[in-house]
Amino acid sequence: MRVRKWAVLLLAAGCLAFIPTGGFAAAGDTIVYGTTEKVSDMDPAKAYDFHTWEIFYNVYQGLLSYPPGRTNLVPALAESWTVSKDGKEYTFKLRKGVKFTDGTAFDAGVVKWSIDRVAALKSDPSWLVTDFVERVDVVDPLRVKFVLKNPVSYFPSLLCSPPYYPLNPKVYPKDRLVRDPSELKGGQLVGNGPYKVVAFKRDQEVVLEANPLFYGTKPLNKRIVIRYFADATTMRLALEKGEIDFAFKTLNPSDIRDLQKSKKFQVVVGQGPFIRYLCFRCEGRPFNDKVLRQAVAAAIARKPIIDKVYLGQNAPLYSMVPMGMWTHTDDFKAYPGDPNLALARKLLKSKGYSEKNKLAFELWYTPSHYGDSEVDLAAVMKGQMEATGMMKVDVKSAEWATFRDNYAGKVMTTYLLGWYPDYLDPDNYTAAFAGTEGSKGNGIFFSNPAWDRMFKQAQMETDVNKRAAIYKKVQKMWADEVPTAPIFQGNLYVIAQKGIRGILLSPTLQFNYGPISRAK
Amino acid sequence: MAQGLGRPFRAFAAMGRKYGVEWWILMFGAAVIAVIVFMAMFPHTLAPFDPFSQEAGPQLANPGGPHLMGTDNLRRDVWSRIVFGSRTILGVSVLAAVISSLVGIFFGLLSGYAGGLVDRGLSLVMDAVYVFPGLILAIALAAMFGPGVINITFAVAVIYIPTYFRLVRGQTLAIKQELYVEAARAIGAGSPTILMKYIFPNVIATTVVVFTLNVADAIMIEAALTYLGLGLPPSVVDWGMDLAMGKKYLASGQWWLITFPGLMISTLALGFTMLGEGLAEILNPRLLER
Amino acid sequence: MKNLLRYIIARTLMTIPMVFILLTIIFVVLRLMPGDPVSAMLGGHAPEKVIEQKREELGLNKPITAQYVDYLWQVSHLDLGDSMVLQQKVTVAIREKLPATIELTTFGMIITLFLGVLLGAYAADKRRQAQDSAIRLYGIVIYCIPVYWMGLMLQLLFGIWLDWLPIAGRTGPRIFASDFEYTGFYLFDTLRVHDFEAFRDVLVHLVLPSLTLGLSLSGIFVRLTRANMLDVLKADYILAASARGISHATIVYRHALKNAFIPILTMMGLQVALLMAGAILTETTFSWPGMGRLLLERIYLRDYPTIQGVIIVFALIVAFISLLVDIIYAVVDPRIRY
Repeated sequence: MRVRKWAVLLLAAGCLAFIPTGGFAAAGDTIVYGTTEKVSDMDPAKAYDFHTWEIFYNVYQGLLSYPPGRTNLVPALAESWTVSKDGKEYTFKLRKGVKFTDGTAFDAGVVKWSIDRVAALKSDPSWLVTDFVERVDVVDPLRVKFVLKNPVSYFPSLLCSPPYYPLNPKVYPKDRLVRDPSELKGGQLVGNGPYKVVAFKRDQEVVLEANPLFYGTKPLNKRIVIRYFADATTMRLALEKGEIDFAFKTLNPSDIRDLQKSKKFQVVVGQGPFIRYLCFRCEGRPFNDKVLRQAVAAAIARKPIIDKVYLGQNAPLYSMVPMGMWTHTDDFKAYPGDPNLALARKLLKSKGYSEKNKLAFELWYTPSHYGDSEVDLAAVMKGQMEATGMMKVDVKSAEWATFRDNYAGKVMTTYLLGWYPDYLDPDNYTAAFAGTEGSKGNGIFFSNPAWDRMFKQAQMETDVNKRAAIYKKVQKMWADEVPTAPIFQGNLYVIAQKGIRGILLSPTLQFNYGPISRAK
Repeated sequence: MAQGLGRPFRAFAAMGRKYGVEWWILMFGAAVIAVIVFMAMFPHTLAPFDPFSQEAGPQLANPGGPHLMGTDNLRRDVWSRIVFGSRTILGVSVLAAVISSLVGIFFGLLSGYAGGLVDRGLSLVMDAVYVFPGLILAIALAAMFGPGVINITFAVAVIYIPTYFRLVRGQTLAIKQELYVEAARAIGAGSPTILMKYIFPNVIATTVVVFTLNVADAIMIEAALTYLGLGLPPSVVDWGMDLAMGKKYLASGQWWLITFPGLMISTLALGFTMLGEGLAEILNPRLLER
Repeated sequence: MKNLLRYIIARTLMTIPMVFILLTIIFVVLRLMPGDPVSAMLGGHAPEKVIEQKREELGLNKPITAQYVDYLWQVSHLDLGDSMVLQQKVTVAIREKLPATIELTTFGMIITLFLGVLLGAYAADKRRQAQDSAIRLYGIVIYCIPVYWMGLMLQLLFGIWLDWLPIAGRTGPRIFASDFEYTGFYLFDTLRVHDFEAFRDVLVHLVLPSLTLGLSLSGIFVRLTRANMLDVLKADYILAASARGISHATIVYRHALKNAFIPILTMMGLQVALLMAGAILTETTFSWPGMGRLLLERIYLRDYPTIQGVIIVFALIVAFISLLVDIIYAVVDPRIRY
């Protein structure tokens, strides 16, 4: 008797679950954006990941910025600037009358305060400031001067990165890093960009509303809701059910393929500045010999890798400087080739290796830092290298923390890495791997004084054409010395409902919410 | 002639009638294990393709035709990977159970027989580990040791040591009190002799049942660890890992990548469990309360 | 009464060395993990100097015994330290995620008990008949099905093919937890603000995960209940009740089950460990934002303090529930106190 009563009650409660709710009418001015990324720390002095930077692009402003979808620098908080003769001093004239959303005025003092704070807090991205900037001087309330340690020709593009963003001194603590907006004075994030944060719930949603005080182009939408998904499959289902307006980073390749085929959605594809490459430990045997490095690089067949592991959704890359960036070349295509097994075998034979005496080495990957398809990437590359018949590859893995530890211990003979740019300049893609200091820090240990001189010269050179010549030369030399072998460049996919307009992807990885609107 | 064949069969059926459903459960379990052990020992007879071959067939092909269980995104044959994967899971689980039992039995005998402070100390540590959720300890150990077949085996082995310890210690304590042990001591038998001749043989019977069930558990833990990504490099074929890789394809319809590895894990675990349950009921009907 | 009190005190005191040993094991295991958390934490470009400084700050340069003492001191003050990787106190991180796990495991346990106990009682009732064998078979089989695989299959069936239920998370994309979050127990929180649509959403999201967890563990309870019921059904008072003409169903499902229930309840305590292991795997499969996923995430990041904190909390929960269960058993059954 009693059992029966309980069973009926439970059944009734269960049925409640299946009653459909009223349909969801998305208000025209609110756009819902789904992503599997996560916010790290809402502090430009600490955050070093692209998703959090993306929110900063929309909530803050730098002295300079990139227009949505473009790669040319335009004035933002600074109207103009002058450079001293020795290239070490940059004086910026700031825009008048800019205010933070709480009414605090923006001026040179704010700029200095923010830069000093980043330098003092010494967190992950602070090197972007401290490696270059000696000090900041306030010339007058509307003029601020940056004194650099050395002349750096790409300094203006550095200014576009979030560590340089002026923050509201009334709200951010001077001596402490902040994680959640609730820790700020007043509990709210107070910026001076096109949007303001009105709600923040970590790993659930972040809600942005158009900032009425913004001096620039007003956004075409009133509200952006970023919805965080823990699981790419659920995000796909939500998109298909119309619960989100668009999804950006990162759907499963098979889901992207299905959505493309279904033709019911808009698929916006952009070239991302994210690159993947194979690194060699250039110190110690066997890869202190560039001929062997060339041999391994010649075995890499990029298209099959992309087809098998990513279902064709990335682009082959033939240089460390990515496509879409100024001075990019395709030097690796010609030599060592893509692939060129005959060349690989010839080079190996010339060094005494053969089918009986195979070149044996380890290939390391890290299983989760770059997504969970790394194990497939390593498996495919192993197959390709062994297809030469003269190589024997032992695949190993280590979690990211151990992986990085292994650099100093020179443990990994060859390993797979990826790179997101800190600033948009070929310097960021080259010196970090083949300059003596950078190479050591990344476990590659390539060192050539001629290269170091070229990097230094390119950093300081102000003549654009001369710089271009240097980088073109570097890339050609790269295909010969092969400290690293580029494999592919990531494509960015935004999949949206058909009525959404204004999704502009840019090689700067800066994604602006302002131009997005819903067609009536 | 027919009679010659018939005799073992009739004996078989007679056992079935005698022990009832437990016998059939045991036989079923043994059969499943036999098939998978065969798979592990002679994979080349059953697998049409090299499990690592990335040219076995079209990408993400449906099950059917030359590919009994379809292919994955690296164009590898799923059935071949299942066949070769049996070696990994069987190897790790059985080896882990063997290590566990040897260590656990040794310390159990020691603790039960020696008594006193040694017993107290060991019991406290073993109890703490026993009570602790095994998977969590295994995860921490696997993360600590890093990837590798040997490492996973050790991680799994550590968790079950207390099970054997407790069992053997309990039995040792009980047997120690028995009259015949006292008698043996009276006629001058030394401790090692007592342990070997009287205690150990009595302990073995129960241990065998626990061992079988232990292997079943070890199978589940090994698959769970590799599913969570804590285990093995791509040069090892493993069911749990293949299951995890197949998760991405849930919504796009490649159901075979998830279904078959999981089915195999369940079947193998079931085989050992049935063997253990059957044995338990037959050897000693009220043996296990678990 | 005095005997009982003595037992409770003795049993509670016994928990302390056990917890102590668990804490030590956790400390040792974690310190031996390879991979330097500091260089991972500081990102790609930090110079050696900064890394050294951070190590100093985090006390990683002190001798290991000093670190051990610090650790014990901290834990006894309920301070689990600061996350190494994110700007967060470990206790805050755990506080955020614990309610999700508790909600999941509670519902899982309810389903397990419901299913396991009823099936077990039924099997005992139909001893040696086809239903008994079938249910016993079910008990064995369900235990052997990995919980995460069952989860995936249920997701495939109910989430993708039939599209009846959601397959991940605690809430859907249109329901904002920040609107109602208060205790972290969403079923309560949504009712508290009378948001019935959110309540429905949270409930619907609970179905598959708790069903998965519940089914997975039900096998054990089927067997347990059946064994206990078989014992109870042999008792004299059952025979007497039957002689007095009380209906069979009432005898089995009211009288016998009630008496068999106590050992089942205590068994529940011992299954907490299995429940938590199952919860970790379920949370991974359903992207459930609980302690299990927190643990795995932080293992990848080598965030020692958080990993440690989570394992400590798991250990404490197990120790506490085991203590509670023993006490309940002692209160109810006088034979146990010694």
